[in-house]
Amino acid sequence: MAALVQHYLEETAQRFPDKIALCHGAIKATYQEIDSSANRLAHLLREKGLKPGERVLLVMENSLDSVRAYYAILKAGGVSVEVPDRSTRAEVAYFLENSGARICLLSKASAARLTGIAAPVIIGPDIAFEHPGGEYVSWKTSEVMPDDAPAAQIDENSLAAIVYTSGSTGKSKGVMLTHKNLCTNTAAIVTYLGLTENDRAMAILPFHYVYGKTLLNTHFATGGSMVINNRFAFPNAVIDEMVKKECTLFAGVPSTFAILLNRSIFAKTEIPSLRIVTQAGGAMAPALRGRLLECIRNATLYVMYGATEASARLSYLPPERLKDKLGSIGIPIPGVEITVRDDSGTVLPPHTSGNICAAGPNIMQGYWQDREETDKALKPWGLVTGDLGYKDGEGFIFLTGRKKEMLKVGGERISPKEIEDAIIASRLVHEAAVIGRPDELLSEVPEAFIVPIDAKTFQIEPLIAYIREELSPQKQPRRWNIVGSLPKKSSGKIDKEALKK
Amino acid sequence: MPATKDVIINFIKENFVMGRSDTVIDPSMSLIESGIMDSTGVLELVEFLESTFSIKIEDEELVPENLETIDNIIAFLNKKGVA
Repeated sequence: MAALVQHYLEETAQRFPDKIALCHGAIKATYQEIDSSANRLAHLLREKGLKPGERVLLVMENSLDSVRAYYAILKAGGVSVEVPDRSTRAEVAYFLENSGARICLLSKASAARLTGIAAPVIIGPDIAFEHPGGEYVSWKTSEVMPDDAPAAQIDENSLAAIVYTSGSTGKSKGVMLTHKNLCTNTAAIVTYLGLTENDRAMAILPFHYVYGKTLLNTHFATGGSMVINNRFAFPNAVIDEMVKKECTLFAGVPSTFAILLNRSIFAKTEIPSLRIVTQAGGAMAPALRGRLLECIRNATLYVMYGATEASARLSYLPPERLKDKLGSIGIPIPGVEITVRDDSGTVLPPHTSGNICAAGPNIMQGYWQDREETDKALKPWGLVTGDLGYKDGEGFIFLTGRKKEMLKVGGERISPKEIEDAIIASRLVHEAAVIGRPDELLSEVPEAFIVPIDAKTFQIEPLIAYIREELSPQKQPRRWNIVGSLPKKSSGKIDKEALKK
Repeated sequence: MPATKDVIINFIKENFVMGRSDTVIDPSMSLIESGIMDSTGVLELVEFLESTFSIKIEDEELVPENLETIDNIIAFLNKKGVA
């Protein structure tokens, strides 16, 4: 096992220097090319004053450049803060402020949308970029930097990444993951999936999402390869590419499979090279799982469970138990212990539902600069996942529910409070409540109930326009209900259960 | 009756670019690369086309050549017999 995440790339570049590591459309890059270009960018980051442990914001869609940037940050001793590439200016402002990142890396697409952000140093495409008060550096500047890796000034216990996840208090919390967290989780995943240098993953999941990032880490660890396709909007084209590029692994969240099975040629298409299909990011309806199993023919389905706070992966269902343990999220991955406990931390007997807790070398160090939330999540017996469930007599885990309120939209955890706060901030609405509405494709979508400040003159369009500026698409309510009042509990709190009815 | 192109542009504006009313939709611009639509957006568009023009769109037809741009959508609808 590697001590630092970038060692996976460096060791593989030594073993297979000329092997194609990554394909993205017509772009191809070998391990050697990625390693050298990441080294050059790392030197540039150092030249811009990057200190060990300093956070660097990365706002890019999946690409060769985003992969290079990720490894460059780590090689320079920095902490990668990779956030959704479609983040709004307001969201980026929060990430910058909260993480304290001084340097921000942008792609051509994100740079076009994020003019005016307040990062002291922006490294981006070779374009004219207005950045008054800050320094704008073209990616090209790194080309003249040395090819060798800068000397590491960090160890396995140093932070490698801060990954933002929605919190119950509304604002996103930064999950702190060390190199050791990520390396141990990577090694465990490689083991239970049996990945080798012959595997080639189709990556449609974004790398800012821990599930997407595990694909990159595991395939670069074994010397496999990756195909990036950011156009799942056209699933048929993704399927065609999987056939043409002979992909062996496909990873998705339940909504991915709903789209594949309901509106694509997936069921009718044979992908002879496909050997592993993984599913995580929320519970998939048993009916959908059944259909998926029929369609993937000879490939093996791995149902998995995890959390950002666990570097990603916590459990998997051994494929041979799919039928007799229907609905289970399986058993802990190697090195992880999962327990079911009551609120005081006492372990509960089998078939008794309680808090799903996890301990292991992959569990986060805490939430960035948030002692209160860290204390709630990390107990002496490990991470309290916020999910509820039980174990059966054989130790297979079944989830029964999850922390109230939090929505899971297309695999991403979304806090209703953040959406409510944004609606209220429009100053058009007196009160707002957001609940999850079951959705066939995304498993859940936000639905808003609003009480206008001035019902007579209120129009929904300006509010929707405002929200589209403030919140990224998955946080935008899909349905709006204008009501005269909201149901309340005796405590005066909004009764969301009543709204769901 | 408004032209087919206007009906589609209005649908996209109302559903995907509201709040960015200054956004100009060039008929030859990729609706995906520009960030206007994502995977669920494409499916919403397909449902809209099916119900508005009373056509059935097959899974095989959900490809960039038919749906990537406004121009592609118009050409596709013509092929499906929508004037």
